Amino acid sequence: MFEIATTLFSSIAPLLQSGSDAASSSPALTASGAAALSVGLAALAAGYAERGIGSAAVGAMAEDDSLFGRGLILTVLPETLVIFALVVVFVV
Amino acid sequence: MKLGQEDGTANYEYVTARVRSRRSSLFDESDYRKLVRMGPSEIARFMEESEYEREMNALGTRFSGVDLIEYALNENLVKHFDDVLDWAEGELYDYIARYLRKFDAWNVKTVIRGIYSGATSTEIDDDLIEAGELSDELLGRLVESNSIENVIELLSGTLFGDALEDAYELYEAEGILVPLENAVDRAYYANLQSNLPRNPNRAEKLYIEFVQAEVDFRNLRNALRIARSGADIDPVEFYIEGGRLFDEDELRQLANNPEELVARVRDSTYGDELDEALTELDGAQNLIGFEHALDAALLEYSHTLSNRYPLSVCPVLAYVLAKEREVDNIRAIARGREAGLSPEEIETELVTV
Repeated sequence: MFEIATTLFSSIAPLLQSGSDAASSSPALTASGAAALSVGLAALAAGYAERGIGSAAVGAMAEDDSLFGRGLILTVLPETLVIFALVVVFVV
Repeated sequence: MKLGQEDGTANYEYVTARVRSRRSSLFDESDYRKLVRMGPSEIARFMEESEYEREMNALGTRFSGVDLIEYALNENLVKHFDDVLDWAEGELYDYIARYLRKFDAWNVKTVIRGIYSGATSTEIDDDLIEAGELSDELLGRLVESNSIENVIELLSGTLFGDALEDAYELYEAEGILVPLENAVDRAYYANLQSNLPRNPNRAEKLYIEFVQAEVDFRNLRNALRIARSGADIDPVEFYIEGGRLFDEDELRQLANNPEELVARVRDSTYGDELDEALTELDGAQNLIGFEHALDAALLEYSHTLSNRYPLSVCPVLAYVLAKEREVDNIRAIARGREAGLSPEEIETELVTV
């Protein structure tokens, strides 16, 4: 695993190097690229958080139909993480 | 059975949510207050309008009166526990399945007792609770077999096999069922605690804690019974391994000395939960009251564990205990009313939290 990572890196590094040589000032990861990455990571975290809540909500709904609304709200609460992360996109 | 045999990861969230919902729909104290004032037929009608509707209707043609109530209760118990097993996956399934083998132990004991007392096979069959892992086919053959030796032979592949074979000689020599029944109990508790992971994670630790509490409570109850009855029985004969309250030698000493036994429990980790029960034992000198208090304490302990650690096996086991209590309570009410006991007398027999 580690070997693969190092070979990958050493093969990409010269490419990045040559890229930065061509347009001397631009970094490997631009600001908007980093912002996009942060949104993606936040979405992943929100998905993980919703996994537990969602399965509990479905369990509760299976026993009692009237819990649908409450279950839905609780399930999508972690979605706020993504919205906060989206703020970064506008700040950058 | 080995851990992790079942596919998938444990789905604690889903199972816990469903089980909690079911738990909250169990009868509460006001229901019991109503029930103890009803006659058997009123209780039956009350149950038809509750959770037990389906079973009452299904069994209504075959049984009547208190028998109908009792069989409907058992049937409903089986349905709920099967549901729980259906939902659970991964290690959670393993834990629950192991715990529910309690009903296998119950069934095996019922069969042995039935054959010993000369009951007919339909009578035995009616009293079985098919919530365990023994297949219906095996249970059918057990019920049909006409001697205890046959039963033991049929069970030879199961977890009770070896223990029963060892105990059979003793049974033949003495002609009493106690060694066989103890062997079944011991095999059950040994299975509960076997093949546990060496480095348990949080959920597994809680499972172990729960099982230890149950073993401790059982040992305690046996020790007190022996101490109170004053009979010359070796308490070690009934001792179940795996608790953390006392070991064999301590039990032997303490069983002859009830006061020291109580003091010992008061200082233990269960002191808080059992405080009320112990006071009752001191005050009333009443073993039945103490045993009910012990049941209530175990129920409360399981409740505490399940509130403190929602994502573990504890809420499920607490539900299993609470459901069993409910069934026992309703049975006590129905049988009590049938025998003509007064509501007050029946109320002392109920265990509620």
